[in-house]
Amino acid sequence: MNRVVVTGLGPVSGIGIGVDEFTAGLRSGRSAAAPIRSFDATGFPHRYAGEVPAFRPEAVLRRLRIADWGRSALFAAAAARLAVTDAGLPLPAADPGRTGAVIGTTSGESTVVEQLVAELVDGGYPAMSAEALRQAPAERLAYAVSAELGLAGESVTLATACSASNYAIGYAYDLLCSGEADVMVAGGADSVCRWAHAGFFRLGALTERQCRPFDRDRSGILTGEGGAALVLETLDHARARGARIYAEVLGYGVNCDAHHMVAPNEDSVAACMRLAQENAGVKPADVDYISTHGTGTPANDLCEARAIRAVFGDHVPPVSSIKSMLGHTMGAASGFGAIATTLAIRHGFLPPTINWANPDPELSWIDPVPNTARPATVRVAQNNGFAFGGNNAITIFGAIR
Amino acid sequence: MTGVVTGCGVLSAAGDSVTDLLAAVRAGSLVGTDVRGRFEEPLPAAEAPAIADFDVRRLLGRKGTSFLDRATALAMVACGRALADGGLTVDDDNRRRVGVVLGTTTGSLRSTMDFSRDTLVQEKPYLVNPVLFPNTVMNCASGQAAIRYGLRGVNATLAGGPLGFLYALRYALNAIRRGYADALLVGGVEEYTPNTAWAADLTGDGPAGEAAAVYLLRRPDAAAAGTPRAEVLAVATGFHPDDPAEGLAGCARRALATAHVRAGDVWAVAGGDPDPDTLRGVVPAAVERLPVRPALGDCQAATGALALGALLGRYAEDPAPHGRPALITGRSRDGGVAVAVVRGWRRAGDHHG
Repeated sequence: MNRVVVTGLGPVSGIGIGVDEFTAGLRSGRSAAAPIRSFDATGFPHRYAGEVPAFRPEAVLRRLRIADWGRSALFAAAAARLAVTDAGLPLPAADPGRTGAVIGTTSGESTVVEQLVAELVDGGYPAMSAEALRQAPAERLAYAVSAELGLAGESVTLATACSASNYAIGYAYDLLCSGEADVMVAGGADSVCRWAHAGFFRLGALTERQCRPFDRDRSGILTGEGGAALVLETLDHARARGARIYAEVLGYGVNCDAHHMVAPNEDSVAACMRLAQENAGVKPADVDYISTHGTGTPANDLCEARAIRAVFGDHVPPVSSIKSMLGHTMGAASGFGAIATTLAIRHGFLPPTINWANPDPELSWIDPVPNTARPATVRVAQNNGFAFGGNNAITIFGAIR
Repeated sequence: MTGVVTGCGVLSAAGDSVTDLLAAVRAGSLVGTDVRGRFEEPLPAAEAPAIADFDVRRLLGRKGTSFLDRATALAMVACGRALADGGLTVDDDNRRRVGVVLGTTTGSLRSTMDFSRDTLVQEKPYLVNPVLFPNTVMNCASGQAAIRYGLRGVNATLAGGPLGFLYALRYALNAIRRGYADALLVGGVEEYTPNTAWAADLTGDGPAGEAAAVYLLRRPDAAAAGTPRAEVLAVATGFHPDDPAEGLAGCARRALATAHVRAGDVWAVAGGDPDPDTLRGVVPAAVERLPVRPALGDCQAATGALALGALLGRYAEDPAPHGRPALITGRSRDGGVAVAVVRGWRRAGDHHG
């Protein structure tokens, strides 16, 4: 079995594009929350989201013809390009068939689908444009990465909703562990869209302006978007090319609630943590930091905090939710969590949970690293991801030894 | 380690058994179901290779089924049949080790587009029906199947369009090899709706089809795994936009090498593609070809699952290919390629002809 390491990071987010900006954003507790620009939010009671208005795909991409791809594919490809550049990965690869891409998503090319809906409303089904129909399939998120980087290995999109990046990282980790690939680009992408904004609002899960995870008065998520990519390689491959190593992927776990499509399940989330820790060969006491799913809804944060207590007992490490800064970037969320976790290990700091004002007496065991980043030695960190459909996925990273 | 197929659940325009499926694929002419009157919206054609007479309430009961979209309901029924056919009883001792892995293209395009349309045409943009919100996520079918059958193990959805099933099969095989699961329901599902019908028509991919095919894949050493119908030896994938034919050939060679199978021993190639030149030069010229698309239309992520069904039909009816390897191939417009190596057996009790 090969050891697997992280050698490159590519965040395209509302708090920074590229690893330097993103790291500075995490350290300073920057917020991406702003009035929605992606669509006309007139008529919505809540009109804030965590968008990436500074995203200029043409400034990052070298090979893709931008008009051929939807926004989510462009997020994925740009994140991947930034990650391989950060990794100093020579491209084209010596053996392109042993380098691949695994990308997670919730809603795939949602803005393309919404374009089709607008065409349909105006002129009926036959008015839908063939070009948009060709761009709509979600498999194109991974294909955009492979096409941009000239990769010939596995190119797969995992559509496991809001934990999809962790699924992607886990699957890539397996392919590297078992020797089926040398390098994998893994992460996720999603775009802000009307239907998700409306759906979360009607579920009562959408906050007005600020996402405040673990706060007593937390009121829901902020919809967000972006692309997150990590370059993962076998340790041997990374060492042979003299790569800088951020951290090691220690393992992961996935399971399913089989309980409810939307409501999280405490026992199942706890079971997923145990699976991930067992797979990674770590004990709860080894974990120095948890990057939580932390959506900021009353139900999620309570469920997640209770599951953490069930697994960690009286030794709950500090936790934080970067969704307080980014919003809920859906399929990219646990990819950003993985990047933040990796940076925490590499640079020795805990990203904060911003917008935090009042402790929740029901979550007394939770230290959410309120508002200000904190210096800390992080040897092992856990990155939580949960999703509609009960698709839990948790990745675990460690300092390289 | 390989995975063994011990059960299957098929719903197709050609019928609900692998025998029906094989007969239609062999006949090679489009299976037509009258779809007039099925929807309020106009359709591009009066007939389509859609499943006839699917009644979710009759098959799954009234409880919890009224808000299911068609793709989800089809997947749930197919999953139930595969579990029953494989004789796997799910209980508290094993449910954490049993899961679902499905291939899709965009989930239910109709669910998503209808939900999104409400944000444009309702009096207020937020006047969507929240009960229908989970139908817009692409993992809806796998999540609902897990709930219905109480499956808490590995649960994943792979968006792969025409390669969806093959990606799901590879993902599932990995999960079994890595020891994450003992049994997985692996399949592909696509619904026929005005949305898919027009999408296929407008992009020249038509006619759109409809199918759900799910297989129970188990660890080969699982106690009481039952008599296997087939074994999945290897699945290889790649991305070759510049030369997909050569990419597919390379993929086939890798899959065969992993499976320790000689190309000359391959007796059949199944897939969506009716092109008789597929893998020419890799497999023997006299290989039997089972393309599903001419009979069943564009079934996208279910295509590979139907191809496996047609192969199971062949293994069941004929002693000649017993134990011999076959390939399932897939190719996407954008350059994705995938090949699975399987072999099947004629079991005692498989009926003749």
